[in-house]
Order: sequence, then C-alpha cells, then structure tokens
Amino acid sequence: MTTENGALNQRLELRATGLRKSFGGVEVLHGVDIAVEGGEVLALLGENGAGKSTAIKILAGDYKRDAGVIVIDGEEADIRSPRDAGAYGLRVIYQEFSDAPDLTVAENLSLGRLPRNRFGLVDWSRVRRDARRILEKLGIELPIRTLVGNLGVAERQVLEIARALAGSARLLILDEPTSALTLEETDALFAFIERLKAQGVAIIYITHRLDEVERIADTVLVFRDGDAVAEGPVSEFGRKEMVEAMVGHELVEEVASLRGEDHDIGEAVLTIEGATSEGVFRDVDLEVREGEILSLFGRIGCGALELAEAVFGLREMTGGSMRVGEQSGQPTSPKDAIARFGVGFVPIDRKIDGLLTVLNVAENLSVASWPWMTTAGLLPPRATAKVFERWYETLDIRGKGGATQSVDTLSGGNQQKVVLGRWLERESRLLVLAEPTRGVDVGARAQIYHVLRRFADKGIAVLIVTSDIEEVVRISDTIVVMSRGRVVARHRASDVDRAQLIRQAAEDTVEAAAAG
Amino acid sequence: MDETPVDKGGGGSPDAAPAVGIGSRARIARIFVAMPPEVVLIVVLVILGAIFWQGSEFFLTTRNMRNVLLSVSVLGILAAPGTLLLISGNFDLSVASAAALCGCIAGIVAEENSAAAAILAALGVGLLAGIFNGVLSAYAGIASIVVTLGTWLGYRGLARLFSNGQTIRMNGKVEFITNDILGVPAQIVLFVLISVLAWFVVRYTRFGRSVYAIGSNPTAARLSGIRQKPTIFVMFIVSGLLAGLAGLILASQLDAASGNAATGVELEVVAAIILGGASLSGGRGTIPGTVLGVFILGIMQNGLTLLSISSFWQDVATGVVLVAAVGLDQVRLRLSGS
Repeated sequence: MTTENGALNQRLELRATGLRKSFGGVEVLHGVDIAVEGGEVLALLGENGAGKSTAIKILAGDYKRDAGVIVIDGEEADIRSPRDAGAYGLRVIYQEFSDAPDLTVAENLSLGRLPRNRFGLVDWSRVRRDARRILEKLGIELPIRTLVGNLGVAERQVLEIARALAGSARLLILDEPTSALTLEETDALFAFIERLKAQGVAIIYITHRLDEVERIADTVLVFRDGDAVAEGPVSEFGRKEMVEAMVGHELVEEVASLRGEDHDIGEAVLTIEGATSEGVFRDVDLEVREGEILSLFGRIGCGALELAEAVFGLREMTGGSMRVGEQSGQPTSPKDAIARFGVGFVPIDRKIDGLLTVLNVAENLSVASWPWMTTAGLLPPRATAKVFERWYETLDIRGKGGATQSVDTLSGGNQQKVVLGRWLERESRLLVLAEPTRGVDVGARAQIYHVLRRFADKGIAVLIVTSDIEEVVRISDTIVVMSRGRVVARHRASDVDRAQLIRQAAEDTVEAAAAG
Repeated sequence: MDETPVDKGGGGSPDAAPAVGIGSRARIARIFVAMPPEVVLIVVLVILGAIFWQGSEFFLTTRNMRNVLLSVSVLGILAAPGTLLLISGNFDLSVASAAALCGCIAGIVAEENSAAAAILAALGVGLLAGIFNGVLSAYAGIASIVVTLGTWLGYRGLARLFSNGQTIRMNGKVEFITNDILGVPAQIVLFVLISVLAWFVVRYTRFGRSVYAIGSNPTAARLSGIRQKPTIFVMFIVSGLLAGLAGLILASQLDAASGNAATGVELEVVAAIILGGASLSGGRGTIPGTVLGVFILGIMQNGLTLLSISSFWQDVATGVVLVAAVGLDQVRLRLSGS
C-alpha cells in the first residue's frame, strides 16, 4: 500500500473528455472535459444545477454517462458503478457520512476488510496497528479507541478522508466539505488537504465559495448550465472573473417578465423586528407585504432557513417580535401557524417533510384544509376529490391516475405543485417556501414561478428562502441577503446585480456591513 | 423500502414493467397488479373453503359457519382498533393481556356485586389500560411497540395476581352478555358493528384520514397541521376499551375468568391485520382487509380441526398461509412499481 515518497497510494492522472448526460430527454451536461492529476487541487465552481454534481457522479460511477471517455493513467477506464470507480482509486466524500458511528475509529478504518488471525477471528491488535499507521502517515491525531459517533463533525470528515485513502483512493472528490464546519475547523481541514496534496493525492474540490477556491485550489473549472465555461490556474482568475463565469448574462430579459413591478404592493402581512435565535440568526428585521414576493438569499447555514422555520412555529425565537396581519406573537406549533396565523409552509425536502406518501393526490392537496372541510368529523372522499378538481388545471398537475393516484408516482415537479397547492387551497395569506424548486425540472420550475406570481397578484405574501441565484433574480420583488445569521443587504429587484448578490452572500458579515 | 422496479428482462420504464409483450401472461400480470389487495384475500378464502368443503361435508353448514364466527369474534373486535393503530405506525401488543385483566376484574367484582358493576369495572380497567399505553406512547415519546411489550407482560402479570392464579367462577352472572340478539350471538353482532364502525371512521372521517396521514409521513402530517399526539392517544383508549369488552365476552362465554385467558391472541391480531394488507411501516391497511384476515385465520383453524389435523400442524399451516399471502401482496406491490 505504501509507495516510495511516503505517500499511501500511487499518483494518478485522470483525463475525462466529452462527458454528456441527459435525464428524461433533457441534456444537463453538454460534453464537459475534466483533467486532474496527483498533487493537484482542482476546484469545480458553479451555481446549483450547473452540472457539477452530475459530472462527479459520472466519475464516481453513480450515473452512467451518455457519451465521453475517461482515461486514467493513459488507459481508458471502464467505470460503470461506484465499485468500478473505487477500483481505479476514485472516491467521493459526500456531506453525509458513510461511517459506522457505533464502532471505534480503528474499526472504521478497517471496515469491510477486517484482518483475521489464524483462528479466523478478528485480529484486533492488527486493526489498531493499521489504524495508527494510517493516521500517522496522514499526520492526523485521532483517538483510535473512541466511538466515531462521539467525534466532532470536522474530525469525522477527516476520518472519512482517511478511510478513503486507507482503501487505496488516489483521487478524492470533496463535495462542499466545509458547509458544516466552523472557521477553525475549515482551517484544519485545509491544512490537511495541503498535506495530502504534498503526498501526491489528486483532489477535486466542489464548492460555490470563492474565498475557498482562492485559498486551496491550483486550478479552477467553472460550470454554467451544463457547460464548462472557464478553466485555468486560479492565479489567473480574479473574483470578478469567476463570478461572471458562474453567472453569465443571458437570462436577464426573461427575468423581468416575471417580476411584479406594475402591480401595487399592499399592506404588510408579515412583520418581523429584531428576530433573534441564539447562534442561528440575529436582529433580523423583515417585512413582506400583500402581493410581494420576497427572497431571503444566502448560503446554506446563513440562518434564513431557520428564520423561516421560526415563522412557521418550528423554532423558538429568543428575542424580537413577529406579526402576521393583526395576529401578534410567535406561533407555537405548525398547527398554530396554520390555523391562527394563516401561514403555509413548503419545506425544503418535499419527500421527507412534505408529502404524505402512499396517500393519493387529492388527500395530499387537501390535508391542511381538512379542519374546514369536515362537518361533524366527517370527511367524505368526494370532498377531497373536489379539491383535486379545483386545482389540477390551475397547477397543471400531470398524472395519469387523477385524484386517486398515489402521490409517490408523480414526478418531482408535480409533487412540488401538490405541496404548494395544499396551501393555496387553505387560503394561506403568507406562503413560506424553502428552496421551492430544488430537484424540480425546468418546465415545472417555470410553472411554479408563474403560480406564485399569480397568487401574489391576488394578494398573498410570499417569502422564499433560497440559495439559488437564478431563482432569486427570476421571481423576487425584493431580495434580502443573509450571511452568518444577519441581514447583510436589501435590494429592490429592479436594481439587482447577480455578482453583487453572490459576493454579499459569500462574504463575512463584518466585511459586508463595512462595505455597505 | 426497495424502490427498484422488477426488471422482467424487457427493461423500459417502471410503469411499463408488468406489460412486457402483449401475451396472455402479461395480461394476467396486469390484472393481478390492478386488483385491490382484498380480492387476493377473497381468492385465498375461497380456495381454502373449497379445500375444506371437499374434506368435510360439515364445513359449509350454517352451524359450522356460526362456530367460525363465534371463534373469531373476539379476535375481530380487537383487530379493528389494532388496524387503525398499525396504519398510524403503532402497535398495541397488550390487548390480550388487558382483556384477561379486565375479565378477572369483572370476575372479582361480580362475586359480591351486580353484573352491571362488573361490566363497568371491566370497561373502566380497559379504559385505564388504554390511557396508560396512550400516555406513554403518544405523549412520553416511547415507541408504542416497547410500551405495549411492557404492558403485555405487566397486564398479564396483574391478571394472574388478581385471580391468584385460579379460575374465577362467575356462576352465570355475566352470561347474558353473549345471549342471542334476534337469533345471532351478541359477540358476532358486536364484531360486525365494530368492524362497520371502524371501516366508516377510517374512510369517512377526518380522524381516520389523519391516522393514514400520520402513518404515511409523521413529519409531513405535522407540517400540515395534523395533531398527532391526541390522535394516537384516542386510538389507544379505544383499543383499551375494546380489550375490556373482549375480556367480558370471554368471561361470559366460559362463565369464568382466568389470568391465562386469550394467551397469544395479541399476535393473532397482528397476523390478521398484516394478512389484511397493512404495512408494518404504517400508512397502509384497510378494515375490510383485516376482517378477511380474521376470517382466513378462523377458517384455517376450523377447517383443519374438521380434517382432524393436529393443532401443531395447524399452527404450521397458518404460518405458511400468513407468509405466503403477505409475500404475494409484496410481489404485487413490486410489480406495480411503487
């Protein structure tokens, strides 16, 4: 396993050319080239949906490519599954851990290939010896007898990388590894990545944080709309160039049409003053008015999502005040938020938090309105079917089975329309949506935007939490940028500049506040 | 659950999977997939009936069918609330123990008091047993399978404690409970009434639909404003009350109460519900399915006894039918690609 210059594994050279991939007839990756070699950190930069993750999933064997060649160390590689990719030394470190939290650090390092002694029993002394050797080689200090579940997030991430390398990985693909780390932990991780680089490990680093690219990467490859649009040594790129490459300039005209500049924005529906939740968000003032679509834009972890949860009664605020219409105070539960405040909530993960799987489309559409539809406890199936009839045209819900089709069998976009329709049926006066078009195809996305705009025009107030810049500029009347729990900027949609928004969301509060 | 559609060699999209080719096999497969699960159960029931009818002329007589109904009525009464609980993703494993406990309490009270007092005491204890299960499961956040595994032991222990390990004779005091109503034994009438009521609640009331919503996705249900805790609590109370009723019926049938009454019935209840198409992970299940499950279990027992097959082999056969029926339903679900 050990090679001449003290590294765990052989250097590798990867050259992928012309990678293409379509989903359901729509091409999402249009022939992309990726090249990286041992001792190099290549940053993949791009907005959500730009094709970064599709590209790495092809390399990792999770997706089958429609076209393209992958050459590793001069020979064409036949990667069809994650197992194949592993055999070539390619490993992706995802944000979710793949370790066994109830086992020790040492056992995790030998997981799946525990050494056995001559009696066929586990050779525990060798397990520990191997663990110490691997950690020493990588210059990591971790208590090998500790249960992995008791480690911190950063330590587990480092362990995850160590496990990959112990399993003879030569190319590590890190998927936004710092999203859950503190500043100090990020520093430690970067120091570790530097050491790996010196040992000849090839690294592909996926991120949308510009400062990280400058700090850690040698080369950068920028994705936009399924194309690699810029590439070169980081030293040749300034921040401005990188942002421009990420954002492009094409879509600006289409955006304007969806904005509600002509109509009157009415009275305040949601008013938040000085909202604070310890360690999550601080001193947030916010007002969303009738007919207004307000986007809270920020990176994951900026506090916007948590603020939205507070509005829906899922999180307690420790300070500040909130008012919806004439109802003051904070909702104590989702039930309270729905019934007393008239808030509707489209959660970030519709599969896990939004859909009543197994149940049918009509029931999923009507569930929030059941208290209204019920007389003396009775809720006849005919009543829920009527709700479906009321909405399927407006929302263009496309399914073969009509009202009684199981919601599981709808496509992602149609499922999201159902979750949205649930709150329209309930006649919510304030809609809170978290990443409403994540994992939704382009067509359904446009439909969702149009529905939101139409209902805003009827007087609903809409609050969208999003980290998708495209979404922000397409749909919002007002944009509020958050970073590290604070509001750092407010814009009217008409004077918006994408590059500026991204910079504001990416910078520390202090800098941003100083800047304006 | 396993999301992979079964690839029958033809590939294609998941919804096209059963319809590979236009041959008769594919058509049969499509019909099989489109059938409601109850149809599968009725087919199983008919096949079993035909086999037993072949083996014994007595099987299809009114008297024997009455026997079958008599033997399953307690099981059926307990399976109704059990179905609602399982749809919501909860278990009540303590029902049989609670029934025995309620029977013993009725027996003790009946020694010196009126029958009405005995009935009230039994139902009251059933209510308390349900409240206890419900508070711990719904409000204290302990998994109901754990709570009721505890009370399964606990209530049974109390039953034996109160009865002193002896059979308590009731001297005909509560026999009237199982008297005929218009020529039909009361427990059969109760079984039918409770099943119809449960079916109505499940299908036509907000409470019933909330039960499905909770079992289908608790988080989504909560975010839609459904109050989970009271719903689960109420189901446990009903389950406890009906355990009290079951205890009274058993005591009335035997004219005696025993701490060992209804041993093992809790698992028959679960078996009948599962047989009826409910999913252990919640969200799925119907009352007609459960009733059919109850009948299948009852007919198996009755028919095999008529064929003079030993009770040991009866258990084996029942086990095979249970696994086979559930397996068949799984194949159906897999083929339908959900």
